[in-house]
Amino acid sequence: MSSPSQSAHLRIGARCFGRCFGTLLALLATTVLLSGSDSSGQSENSEPPIRVPSNVAWTQDTLALISRGDAFRGLLLARRCNHCHGEEGFSSVPNFPNLAGVDRLSFWKQMQDFRSGKRTSPVMQPIAEGLSPRSAADLAAYYAMLPTASDPQDSRAFPQPMHDAAGASMAIRLIVFGDGQRGIPPCQSCHGPVSYVNGAPPLATQNGNYLEQQLELFSTGNRANDINVRMRSIARQLTSEEKTALSEYYGAGHGPGVTSR
Amino acid sequence: MKIKIRKIGFVAALTLFGAALLSTRYYMVDLPIWHFFGGGEGPDPSTLHLRGEFVESNLGAAEGPAGSLTVRMIAQQFVFVPQCVVVPAGVPITFRITSADVVHRLSFMGTNYGLSAVPGVVTEASFTFPKPGQFKIPCHEFCGAGHYAMRGQLNVVSRDQFASLRPGERRTCEQP
Repeated sequence: MSSPSQSAHLRIGARCFGRCFGTLLALLATTVLLSGSDSSGQSENSEPPIRVPSNVAWTQDTLALISRGDAFRGLLLARRCNHCHGEEGFSSVPNFPNLAGVDRLSFWKQMQDFRSGKRTSPVMQPIAEGLSPRSAADLAAYYAMLPTASDPQDSRAFPQPMHDAAGASMAIRLIVFGDGQRGIPPCQSCHGPVSYVNGAPPLATQNGNYLEQQLELFSTGNRANDINVRMRSIARQLTSEEKTALSEYYGAGHGPGVTSR
Repeated sequence: MKIKIRKIGFVAALTLFGAALLSTRYYMVDLPIWHFFGGGEGPDPSTLHLRGEFVESNLGAAEGPAGSLTVRMIAQQFVFVPQCVVVPAGVPITFRITSADVVHRLSFMGTNYGLSAVPGVVTEASFTFPKPGQFKIPCHEFCGAGHYAMRGQLNVVSRDQFASLRPGERRTCEQP
């Protein structure tokens, strides 16, 4: 039993509800239309599957996490790495990379890429799976502060003599000037010592055999974890003689500037 | 009457002054407007490879809905990606480029065309290359130590030749 005034209230309420609902609907419709027009502007006829080279991005959070790495904790963790990468960060087998003085960002990124399977290695992938991002940052801090000076006590494979000394001039030209005609930037403009790019490791004390393998993998696309196809587009342009000359030159310890950031 | 003329002059002077202020300080006044219309927010330079239109599988020449052609490129220290692009001759081509680090500039050697790659901003421009040929794309804005060796390439081919190149995919000259 409703009085006339009550029913009037109800009617007003219903009308208000209807109006509000209508407004809401209109708003929803506009948002849907707007988002629809947005996405139609982006879409193409055929979308290739998205390929992400690496899950690592150099955001402020990532950089902060890496810079908080604790070198002492890294020292303890590095006992697992010593067998292959050497007590002092210089491996005794030239096929394995030297880690002494390696750049923090590049070390951390490679660990994350091994972990996510973006970079494949039957040896490193299971090891990296057990490393949390924080532990990787600790290890990175440890290896970044290891000295790169030579130590007679150490059984390192590092300075290997060049097989072909004639390649030295070719290597120097590429390291210092690059090759503008083919769009090859100088190695030293990203890998130091002239300037650096996030995630580019210093090469001055790296093993030649390892460098040659990696250049080969980059040029064939079998290693594809470089952000924005940077190293792949460069390695693709290098001839096999240039790859050999570059890796032997760096592997012989002639690389300009032993660097640690 | 005199007062009226003076008033008009006053208003005109004020308007001119305001217009001058707006035109010189447009970036301060304008930016919120572009934000409002959704045009100001560009891709984050550090996450280009993770999401958005500049993921590596989407770079190169892409065919749009009505036969339009869009070339997406990234400029970064010190290579253009893709380093070599293929486009057909005589067709308007829309370039959409951005930078992953600092400001770069593409200039197509032998033409008057060029456009800047700015981090956080997508630069869009439309060019037509009338004849087949090869154009070097040197970086035209000092970007760092490897600037002088930063060079891409643009291959302009005939329309038939372009159509035979892996239709329906992103086309660059690096593909087999």
